[in-house]
Amino acid sequence: MTAKNENSDFDPILLAVLSRRLEAIIREMSNTVMRASRSAVITNARDMSCGILTYDHRLICVEEAMPIHVSALDLTTRPITELFDDVKEGDAFFNNSPYLGVTHHADMTLCVPVFADNEPLFWVLARSHHADVGAPEPTTYLPYAATLYQEGVHFPCVRIQENFRDKEDIVRIGLHKIRSPHVWHGDYRAQVGACRIGERRLKELVMRYGVATIREFVEAWMRYGERRATAAIRALPAGTWRHTSTHDPIPGVADAGIPITAQVSVDSDAGRITVDLRDNPDCVPGGVNLSEACARGSCLIGIFYNLDSTIPHNAGSADRIEILLRDGCVVGRPTFPVGTSVATTNVNDRLINAVQCCFAKMGEPHGLAEGGGDFSSGMGVVSGIDDRGGGSIPYVNQFCVGLSGGPGTHGHDGWLTYEAPNGGGVLVLDSIEVDEAQYPILMESRRIAADSMGAGRWNGAPATEGAYRSLSGDCAVFYCSDGDTNPAEGVFGGRAGAPSGNWRRTANGASEPLPSFHKARLSADESMVYRSVAGGGYGEPEARDPQSVAEDVNRKWLSVERARSVYKVALRKTANGIDFTVDDVETRRLRDR
Amino acid sequence: MAPRYSVCIDIGGTFTDCVVASERGLDIHKTASTPPAFERGFMDSLRLAAQDSELDLGAFLTATGTIVHGTTVSTNALIEGRTARVGLICNEGHPDVLTLREAPRKRAFDWKLDFPRPFVPRNRTCEVRGRIDARGNELIPLHEADVHDAVKYLQSCPVDAVAVSLLWSVVAPAHERRVREIIQDLWPDVPVTLGHELNPIPREYRRTISAAIDASLTGVMPAYLERVEGAVRDAGFTGSLLVANCIGGMMTVEEIARRPIYSIMSGPTLTPVAAQMLCNEPDMVVIDMGGTTFDVSAIRSGRLIVTTEAMINDDLLGLPKIDVRSVGAGGGSIAWVDPGGLLRVGPKSAGAIPGPACYGRGGDQPTVTDANLTLGILDPAYFLGGRVTLDPEAARAAISPIAERINLSIEEAAYAIHVTSNENMIAAIEDITVNEGLDPRDSYFVAGGGAIGCHIGEMARTLGIARFMVPRLAAGLSAHGGLVSDIRGEASATHPTSNHNFALGGVNETLLRLRAQGDAFLERAGVPLSQRRFAYAFQARYKYQSWEIDVPFDDAPLGTGDIPVLADAFHQMHERIYTIKNETDEVEFTTWTVRAVGLREAVVGDHVWDRTSHRSPLGTRRVFIGAERAFQALPVHDASALGAGESVNGPAILDSRTTTVLILAGQRATIDDQGNCCVERTNSAPQTGLAS
Repeated sequence: MTAKNENSDFDPILLAVLSRRLEAIIREMSNTVMRASRSAVITNARDMSCGILTYDHRLICVEEAMPIHVSALDLTTRPITELFDDVKEGDAFFNNSPYLGVTHHADMTLCVPVFADNEPLFWVLARSHHADVGAPEPTTYLPYAATLYQEGVHFPCVRIQENFRDKEDIVRIGLHKIRSPHVWHGDYRAQVGACRIGERRLKELVMRYGVATIREFVEAWMRYGERRATAAIRALPAGTWRHTSTHDPIPGVADAGIPITAQVSVDSDAGRITVDLRDNPDCVPGGVNLSEACARGSCLIGIFYNLDSTIPHNAGSADRIEILLRDGCVVGRPTFPVGTSVATTNVNDRLINAVQCCFAKMGEPHGLAEGGGDFSSGMGVVSGIDDRGGGSIPYVNQFCVGLSGGPGTHGHDGWLTYEAPNGGGVLVLDSIEVDEAQYPILMESRRIAADSMGAGRWNGAPATEGAYRSLSGDCAVFYCSDGDTNPAEGVFGGRAGAPSGNWRRTANGASEPLPSFHKARLSADESMVYRSVAGGGYGEPEARDPQSVAEDVNRKWLSVERARSVYKVALRKTANGIDFTVDDVETRRLRDR
Repeated sequence: MAPRYSVCIDIGGTFTDCVVASERGLDIHKTASTPPAFERGFMDSLRLAAQDSELDLGAFLTATGTIVHGTTVSTNALIEGRTARVGLICNEGHPDVLTLREAPRKRAFDWKLDFPRPFVPRNRTCEVRGRIDARGNELIPLHEADVHDAVKYLQSCPVDAVAVSLLWSVVAPAHERRVREIIQDLWPDVPVTLGHELNPIPREYRRTISAAIDASLTGVMPAYLERVEGAVRDAGFTGSLLVANCIGGMMTVEEIARRPIYSIMSGPTLTPVAAQMLCNEPDMVVIDMGGTTFDVSAIRSGRLIVTTEAMINDDLLGLPKIDVRSVGAGGGSIAWVDPGGLLRVGPKSAGAIPGPACYGRGGDQPTVTDANLTLGILDPAYFLGGRVTLDPEAARAAISPIAERINLSIEEAAYAIHVTSNENMIAAIEDITVNEGLDPRDSYFVAGGGAIGCHIGEMARTLGIARFMVPRLAAGLSAHGGLVSDIRGEASATHPTSNHNFALGGVNETLLRLRAQGDAFLERAGVPLSQRRFAYAFQARYKYQSWEIDVPFDDAPLGTGDIPVLADAFHQMHERIYTIKNETDEVEFTTWTVRAVGLREAVVGDHVWDRTSHRSPLGTRRVFIGAERAFQALPVHDASALGAGESVNGPAILDSRTTTVLILAGQRATIDDQGNCCVERTNSAPQTGLAS
């Protein structure tokens, strides 16, 4: 370096360029996984993430990733250096064990060490949610799987490549044990491609700037993250807050539901936050327990959702947050071999909601309402036999057609294509045509559900509703619909969003409600009908700008009746007889009452 | 008689640039744009060109073979929301395709943002019963009564144009076609865009949004083009009139009027083409500072960057486009002070009317041009070669209130405006370089636009750029691109097949049909047979993948022996892009493309810049140097009098008829053999304190 800034820190322009460069490398990796993979859940919905860590397991960069995939990535690479003392260039490690730092068993993760001058510098990592993991049932979410032995195949942090070549015996385990093995193999190879691209790009970067500069950059980048997080936390009021969000009852697993409580303490002077999860239920005899990676990651997520979003999400900023977990806790460190098949979504989404809503207790303008969780049959894992081409090809895939609605926050309505707290709104909504081209499924409808949003001064986003059916004989649909019973709650007088729901519609048009945690078998003339969870509102609906209420009615998100009864806004038709406008006099009368 | 002139006219928000190629080489003529009747400026610029050739307009046009036109009309209409009101007809059950999109991109941890509104409002969207599946089977017949109801509804809204986009119309278009027939029966005058005709790709959001945007432009582009063509034909032009399109090619007026969406960013997409012709650098950043906007594009490894993810406002365009990004930062951008007391520049522009205060046409808002005049960078008597006299007092009067608000002298305030404008442009450059992980210092900069010469020296210093070029025709860089670029047309069609069971006959039929279309296009564009070239490509994926990659191949028609060759080309390309291939896996081919190219005669190389002896400076001009907060007398050179190979050390000013270049201390300008001004840093120490 030829110059330093006045804080004798790293050159600020180079700091910006190199951090963007790493983000761009991750984007290129992610693009490779998304475009070269075969499972629709990866190529269409983008249920995958890539990341870069230092070789000593400090997270550098997580841009464009799903928050839950990447917020505790250090736990994923750490076992490699603990289990292997001969890590070398050309190796790649494959891991889907929730007891070795992975989020849940479907998030199969490839880690590649990056060497420069024979010295290990980085880990590059590609995590994809695979469509199948060889479980007893064709789904990757098993709410009733009480132990790991009911989850299918595990690769417990194994070396799958040496000298840049696949170890065929290890790959054969997957080919043997997983349904649609060619799809699994294509997805795995896409992860290899992404990691090798990341490796190549990082080596180019080191070549250009030199190891010393890159090492200095990493330290400066961590300090920058720490500085930013400290400053943001210092701006918060000091105190301790608790919020509880309760997961719906699961028959035989948690008949009364699972209340999840987060306690967030802010030390403004020190610029530190402590999240205490120890006062929560023990593990339950089912698959909804969190892995440690999910429990830790979700505490960070709930906090970062409430801080300036431009703060880097690296090990430096995470250092400002202390997380207290308990062994054997449903949101802590699970006790081997407790089941964690559904660790990334359901209870996990309740945990993120609990953490993020603690901030609302600080008073306006802080905090978020609760966001709608996963996942109704609009996110279901569908399997069957595709006989359209004359053959009979088994298929299994998760469709992401019905995303839940986001929470209201001060100044903004909830994000419509939110998906769930764990996803940060980065999941891509399936293209109906791409789904229908690849699988024998007809997406009969998909639309925004009217009158579903959590009413508020700023609304929670509405739910999405729709229906689909098989075009090729029977199919099975697995889903774990948390939100059918306990909706997403509002804050500061904002109302709860509408609950989710799942129905079977028969050929004669009759609809029958289905259980929340279920494997539905549908014949070809029956449709699966879903509604996702709507987000909770922020602030009193009577304080909502009447023009926004009129817009909600014009875009058919809200009925004229609810505009009047909930928001106290009266509307009348305009000259074309189609559009609505605010009746100011009547609205004033309603609101003054 | 062979045509003696080729012309390209590029209309921006402020200026209309006309570049003429003749046996004398290239010449540029600039005139004010004339919104909303842009065709007047078009004809004004031709009159200037005719005068310069000492011909009357009729004679000049008779001797002109081709006019290429780049126009900002549709881009501006979209950005300012002045497009036709569109109604959308879609499938029952799927009214929210344009709202849900593919879930808009957002940063994962940011919730302080609003979900974007759809391009067509929900209460202008009508559902009709009828459904085709992925294999083209009709599952539900089209309910014509629903279409009748939809038409009545959209008539009462009312809307000006209708987009029709039904699921799987790319496989079985009968429903979409029938909907159009019904609309035209009931409502003969309304323009209708069909999704499968405009953009024959699967992925309903991308097809629907492009159809909706296209429909919104039917109220703008065809009428405009009709006026332009009418005016130029009336004046005697019989050659071919082509319009630059968003993929770096050109289309005939008739084609672009039928598919006006292709005219988005017409003009700016020609600037990287011009840069490619001007220098052989593999990696370039190409910038263009006009009166209203600042456009940035890049060349990587010698190739134009085409993006399939181009955005216009809150939506994807749905079609591939040259990656040119535009921000509201130009010579006409207006300076203002925000409620927090911070100086801001743009994005509002004084435009062509009234223009900057110093134009003396009634403008009283301080613009970047006013600041540059106040700083002494511009010569009030020699703006646009003396055709416009600038009023320094009007500029100072406009800046004065701002200077008072921020407590600076008028010169200091002018310098603050100048620097703020630089920062706005630097942010746009960083968006396409730093944000993509590229260090701008690795690229050669080609700087175009009439106003850029006042700014590029200091921007280069701030960014740490070692070398840049201000081309001789900088003031009309995209018009230059329109003259030197080959004429390109592209035709695609979907014909799904696989290497396991290749539909040779069907594919060949498709390819020959596309080639005939390309040939007809080149014929309409007046390209002689000997200059016509055809390039072929297919889009393919491994079975179960959903994103195709584009793979070129040599020739058509195909033989049986070519099938493994195509598959192998796919495997290789897949490995090149993703580092992996699976050679035993089935390859699915989806779309076939023929690119028709009409080679241009090289107009640039014909004309080598005269070597004349160095002439001493014309004189000096007092320029306010911000770093020193004082005026300094700088030597002024006539750029057109400098011979090839001659150099000028900064600080100095190079004036020419259409642009002024300020060279700073530590920079040296050298004129190349095309008359371009090539600047390099002379002090080797990096100026931003950066190792490179």
